[in-house]
Amino acid sequence: METVLELRNLKKRYPKFCLKDVSFQVKQGEIMGFIGRNGAGKTTTLKSILNLVHPDGGEIRFFGLDFLQHESEIKQRLGYAAGGTSYYPRKKIRDVAAMTREFYGNWDEEVYRNYLARFSLDEDKRLIDLSEGMKVKFHLALALSHHAELLILDEPTSGLDPVSREELLEIFLDTAEQGVAILFSTHITQDLEKCADAITYIRDGRLAASMPAEEFRDAYRIVEDSPALTAEQQALVLGRCREKSGGTLLISRKDAEAFPDRELRTADLETIIVHLEKGVAL
Amino acid sequence: MKKLLKKEMTLSASPLSYWFLAFAAMTMIPGYPILISGFFLCLGIFYSFQFGREANDVLYTALLPCRKRDVVRAKYAFVCLIQGTGWVLSAVLTALRMTVLSCAEVYINNPMLAATPAYLGCLLLIDSAFNGIFLGGFFKNAYRLGAPFLGFAVTAFVIVAAAEALIHVPGLESLNRISGGSPAQWGLLLVGLIGYAGVTVFSCHRSEVRFEALDL
Repeated sequence: METVLELRNLKKRYPKFCLKDVSFQVKQGEIMGFIGRNGAGKTTTLKSILNLVHPDGGEIRFFGLDFLQHESEIKQRLGYAAGGTSYYPRKKIRDVAAMTREFYGNWDEEVYRNYLARFSLDEDKRLIDLSEGMKVKFHLALALSHHAELLILDEPTSGLDPVSREELLEIFLDTAEQGVAILFSTHITQDLEKCADAITYIRDGRLAASMPAEEFRDAYRIVEDSPALTAEQQALVLGRCREKSGGTLLISRKDAEAFPDRELRTADLETIIVHLEKGVAL
Repeated sequence: MKKLLKKEMTLSASPLSYWFLAFAAMTMIPGYPILISGFFLCLGIFYSFQFGREANDVLYTALLPCRKRDVVRAKYAFVCLIQGTGWVLSAVLTALRMTVLSCAEVYINNPMLAATPAYLGCLLLIDSAFNGIFLGGFFKNAYRLGAPFLGFAVTAFVIVAAAEALIHVPGLESLNRISGGSPAQWGLLLVGLIGYAGVTVFSCHRSEVRFEALDL
């Protein structure tokens, strides 16, 4: 599969936060979940990719092209939507769409009309009158109507009700089947269980992992926190969560042999991330 | 750039930017500091920036298929278009006052700055102040409007006061001559034109560089 986005050693320094050497790739038709807790650097990374935030270092290539040298050309092939962000709230959908279509050589009016119908968007409604879910759908309709090859979505499902989230995830799956790549930041890991092919996990501004979702899940195991661990076993624990009935530990699958007396379970993304973020200190 | 300018005019602009063009008609008011019309015109443009900030206009534009610096150029182009239109309207009315209405008593006995080429030059200086102070200040962070506008407003009133005072300085009375104009009037117009072009180009270039490095 063709690489549509490649980041190498992306750096951004703020007085109280630093993005350090973030590198990953997104391939054609792939849905990549970009995860990390609030403040981990997800939005900074996505904005740096789009030159909305000025990176202090690193290389960003879309479709094999350097972004800064081919900015307009690359943006023709991208779509961006962010949950909670809305443009021109007092304008009608019709007006914003009419202006947007002027900028895209690949604009497909028929596809746009289809998405309006599918998303039940009324062109005469003002953006301020749309729910958060409908706003995201409108931005998606705009992005998909110019045949974007890569969608960059910053927490598009945050603030949505479960049904709207489910609808959006189905749209992502349909879109990816058409060969569109999706880079999708979220802290709602359940969403990624349903649709992500790959996971990029960022922690305190550093890349913690970037790999196929299945491989990521398979790299960890959950064990019960009782009876007490040996000192050797304690050293291998990556994260611990307390529960009323005791607690659970996260270990690396490659260390599983060190826990012969315990039942090892596979974990979902949320369990892995929560354990990793909490660490071993209690 | 044409598309971006169209976007500025249709999507980003506050209707007040267009309505405030009517303040060019203040050129016809006798016994009034008519240079204030330049301030009101710029106030109308300010409303577009305020409207744009509330509408996430800069972010929307920066995501369109254009270079990041084109966002700045489009804003400057829009501002110059409004200022240019306002100035042409003022110039037409000035020509009217200097020709057809040159014998009107209300204009002959006008103790304030008259509508002359000097007035048009001073209007350009007010527009220059807007482009240099307000636009230049706004693009430091593409968010803060208040301090740059206050800086512009103070400067604009200094220009108005200075122009009104200048016509009473001995030897500079010709600045206010209604019929035929005077070399001093044309000189001030030239200063305004050069100042406007220089300040606008410099401010736009500096804003482009700043905006390129800005985190939105």
